[in-house]
Amino acid sequence: MFGRGLIKGLGITLGHLFEKKITEQYPEERPVLPARFKGSFTLKVPKCIACGLCANTCPNSVIKIESEKDENNKKKLTGYKMMAERCLYCGFCVEACPTKALMWNHDYERAKFSREEVNLDLFGSYVPSPEDDQPAKSAKEDEESAQAS
Amino acid sequence: MLKTQELTLNLGPHHPSTHGVFRCVLNLDGEYITKAVNHTGYLHRGLEKLAESRTYTQFIPYNGRLDYCSGMLNELTYVTAVEKLMGITEEIPERAEYIRVIMSEVQRLANHAIYFASMALDTAGATAWFYGFRDREKCLDLIEMASGQRMMPNYMRIGGVSDDLDENWFKLLKELVDYMPSAVDEYEGILTGNEIFQARTVGVGPVSKEMALDYGITGPNARASGIDTDLRRDEPYSVYDRFKFNVPVRKNGDSFDRVMIRIDEMRESIKIIEQAMKDVPEGPIMAKVPKVLKPPVGEVYHRIENAKGHLGFHLVSDGSTKPYRNHIYSPCFVNLGIFPEMAEGLHLMDAVVALASVDIVLGEVDR
Ligand code: SF4
Ligand code: SF4
Repeated sequence: MFGRGLIKGLGITLGHLFEKKITEQYPEERPVLPARFKGSFTLKVPKCIACGLCANTCPNSVIKIESEKDENNKKKLTGYKMMAERCLYCGFCVEACPTKALMWNHDYERAKFSREEVNLDLFGSYVPSPEDDQPAKSAKEDEESAQAS
Repeated sequence: MLKTQELTLNLGPHHPSTHGVFRCVLNLDGEYITKAVNHTGYLHRGLEKLAESRTYTQFIPYNGRLDYCSGMLNELTYVTAVEKLMGITEEIPERAEYIRVIMSEVQRLANHAIYFASMALDTAGATAWFYGFRDREKCLDLIEMASGQRMMPNYMRIGGVSDDLDENWFKLLKELVDYMPSAVDEYEGILTGNEIFQARTVGVGPVSKEMALDYGITGPNARASGIDTDLRRDEPYSVYDRFKFNVPVRKNGDSFDRVMIRIDEMRESIKIIEQAMKDVPEGPIMAKVPKVLKPPVGEVYHRIENAKGHLGFHLVSDGSTKPYRNHIYSPCFVNLGIFPEMAEGLHLMDAVVALASVDIVLGEVDR
């Protein structure tokens, strides 16, 4: 009979009408994001050893690091800028970081009115927090920082 | 007798039915197309050239920007091509291979779901559109959990995959696999079984076997025209030779068959995931590859069965850390080539359906 398929299709939609809604009322309802979600970046400044691995591994030269040597001839971070307008959000920088200083966070609302506003100054905007106050100090990391300097 | 004149009409570049920024100049006689000329290049970003200034690893994230509906598959093609170039294809850990297969099939499901959705919308079936997107979202959620991003996953690595998957992930995958067959049944109930849809697609834009061969059409579009080809079976890469699946083939090659072949393929993909899930071995997920990759001088061509056809990478290495040349053989570009011949003589309304049924993504057409 012609129209049978049509009625069957309508039956399916009718069935769904009485089911639980699956749409999400964003922004009132916030999505639950998986742990690996790539939103924006956080830099734990005391942990960073200014080795430059993140900047080197980046495909688009997004990261600009400034550092100076302190009295022990150890590198100290003095600036960390990300030209996030060019960022691919690939995550190579986070993967490359030996001290886990650079991390992803779940801040996904990154739409801005102008290009410049998108860029991040992770050094300038760093807010100290108690748990990342201990600078990284394992043998391997010391070695790496020695190599880099 | 009324005197009529041919009308030249630009379809696109900014028209939803062109699925991106594709322009087609149509000559119309009334509402019938007498001539169609493809114009591409609106989304050209020079990815092949970009690859020459990136190291081998650094190019992986750009693959998601090729065909942005099947990022995982593009990445898989690229990394396997580099592995072949370096001669380490045999060294990839088993677990990584299985994860790669699962990921590609999940991505294929997502791709075919979005294809179904856009096909529904182009035949004015807005409800079915949402059904497709609902299921695509389920697939993308899994990809997001594994890689951190929905569409540009950057999950595959030269030598394996970037992150391991845990129990919880596999549990969700099981849920997806259990759920998906019912969703595919629904697709058939709501769209392809619908008489209106059939009236719009059956016999529209037929591509004969000869024509498909002439144009070099690959993938589902070729199978819809009766060419029995599937690289997963014919040139098994990764661990595809361990799974049992059918290669659906249809013979009419019209828009309806092109839709149905994808629906059939979704069922096969589910089968592959089910088999792969059962015997994922434990173990490492990365082979031992050096930090700085310097493939030996030489060249390699590697292709796999993408969701849209044969995607191939031709890499030329001069022994440095960056490829000397990276050529991308894109299935969408080749498949789009058939559109002018297909559209000739079609009603304008049907041409939109025929174009949608070919499944193009402009990111890959223009590269
Ligand atoms: S996510 Fe990728 S593109 Fe962005 S800064 Fe990190 S390495 Fe560079
Ligand atoms: S890789 Fe990590 S430790 Fe090194 S400079 Fe970048 S953020 Fe700092």
